[in-house]
Amino acid sequence: MAARSGVSSSVPSLPPPCPKSPPEYPDLYGKRRETAKVQMLEREIRFLEEELKSVESLQSASRYCKEVTDFVMANSDPLIPTSQKNRKSYRFWKWLCGLSCFNLSWICCCCYSWHSCHLKCPRSCKCSLCDCSSCKCYSCNCNSCLSCCTIPKWRCCSCPKSSCCRKISCSRNCCIFQFPSCTDCCCCGWKCCCPKCPKIRPCRNCTKTCCNPCCLLF
Amino acid sequence: MSVAELKERHAAATETMNNLRERLRQRRQQLLDTDVAGYASSHGRTPVTFGPTDLVCCRTLQGHTGKVYSLDWTPERNRIVSASQDGRLIVWNSLTSQKTHAIKLPCAWVMTCAFSPTSQSVACGGLDSMCSIFNLNSPTDRDGNLPVSKTLSGHKGYVSCCQYVPDEDIHIITSSGDRTCVLWDITTGLRTSVFGGEFQSGHTADVLSVSINGSNSRMFVSGSCDATARLWDTRAASRAVRTFHGHEGDVNTVKFFPDGNRFGTGSDDGTCRLFDIRTGHQLQVYYQQPSDNEVPHVTSIAFSISGRLLFAGYSNGDCYVWDTLLARVVLNLGSLQNSHDSRISCLGLSADGSALCTGSWDTNLKIWAFGGYRKVI
Repeated sequence: MAARSGVSSSVPSLPPPCPKSPPEYPDLYGKRRETAKVQMLEREIRFLEEELKSVESLQSASRYCKEVTDFVMANSDPLIPTSQKNRKSYRFWKWLCGLSCFNLSWICCCCYSWHSCHLKCPRSCKCSLCDCSSCKCYSCNCNSCLSCCTIPKWRCCSCPKSSCCRKISCSRNCCIFQFPSCTDCCCCGWKCCCPKCPKIRPCRNCTKTCCNPCCLLF
Repeated sequence: MSVAELKERHAAATETMNNLRERLRQRRQQLLDTDVAGYASSHGRTPVTFGPTDLVCCRTLQGHTGKVYSLDWTPERNRIVSASQDGRLIVWNSLTSQKTHAIKLPCAWVMTCAFSPTSQSVACGGLDSMCSIFNLNSPTDRDGNLPVSKTLSGHKGYVSCCQYVPDEDIHIITSSGDRTCVLWDITTGLRTSVFGGEFQSGHTADVLSVSINGSNSRMFVSGSCDATARLWDTRAASRAVRTFHGHEGDVNTVKFFPDGNRFGTGSDDGTCRLFDIRTGHQLQVYYQQPSDNEVPHVTSIAFSISGRLLFAGYSNGDCYVWDTLLARVVLNLGSLQNSHDSRISCLGLSADGSALCTGSWDTNLKIWAFGGYRKVI
């Protein structure tokens, strides 16, 4: 219907439509997060206050430096031998160490350990070349340390033969002073990584020459 | 309380905390009347001296085709497990150099590995945020791979370090980029305890290393990118027993001292430090000014069995042997003949203390042992 002409409208014009603003929700996540941070800080403050109280009763550092020094001096270290023993066996090992291929002083023929071997063999040990007082088998009272000692470590623990029982007391041939031998020997997997290996003597298990320290000794 | 009021309270608490920390630092400084080097030298101790052939490389373990990131010795039997960027764990017989296992990992991005106390299993972890357990006696699958026997999942960040709790194959502790350490029950695969985290008092940045006390396996220390080390009691995970400040950069490595009452740290600030766990005292700083201006980061440390030697690997390829009592470098394995060609990323001592194994970014591991005869006064 057309508006009448000449007549001014007395109805106020409606504002343009616009979407409603979302209601103002409280920022609960932000508030809770901030509350958690404050609580953590206040807890940290309590810890620091406790620590400050405990520090008052602490002794000075020199007492604890003494503890460290005393502990270190009281304990032997295989990487730092403390004294010189048994010149005779030492000369033998020194000769072996002079070989261009090997520095064998780090292999004890009795316990096949890494430590320098300048010590006496246990009386039950068949090896007469070294003195292994730090070896556990030193305290062994049986006739043969081979059968019951937890050392030598090489015994059966790494024999590659599938038939090996891998027990310490195993008396199989593969496990008595014959392992490891040479690279291609079927009873072992020894690999000499020394390019200047003199290959001094034949391996017991095969005809190949080998520079393996166990082959040198037995 | 409004958010604005909470923020004001937060600021006030932060200032109070900083003031308390400063008071604590000053009080501790007053108690440091000497350090280990000062005490030992005043009591007539002279440094260990090594000749050029005294500590020698006895073995080079070759087989990895990527950077070696981690290694661990067995408690017995001289075997080593190593983890490499090539995505494999290798188990070595350190005496014969034989590889007894080569384990292809489901995730190649491995950062840590560990041998179980009984030597029956190995664990590893890395960027997959999980710790995987392999039983070395399990039969291999059709492809010849050792299957994962257990997966420990729950970390929300990379697994940086793992160590079995001594004397038991059941529990392992991991550290993570999610700022937490976790004690796991391997049998169930579940987390027994979580140390730190968002709403607990703990590290405020990535945790990079853990070391369990050999004398008291309920205690362990962790090192973090927040420049602190923290001591934890596994019976009380809600807060650290003590926080050790002093370093000025990421603490990359932590290792307990043999007596169980101290531990060492190595950091991006180029220093190693010795802390006392009962008092929090910093007993010694091990630092040598580099010849150039660039300070190398300490990547890994290990103590000799007596505690007299501290082995520290650095990001520039050096491997210093520190006399812990006199705080002097007595040898640099990195400069010896037949040493690594690149950074030494990990190192560890054999259980009997007679050999050191180092792992490097040159893909090799090397075994070092005493090759001479030395008298110490």
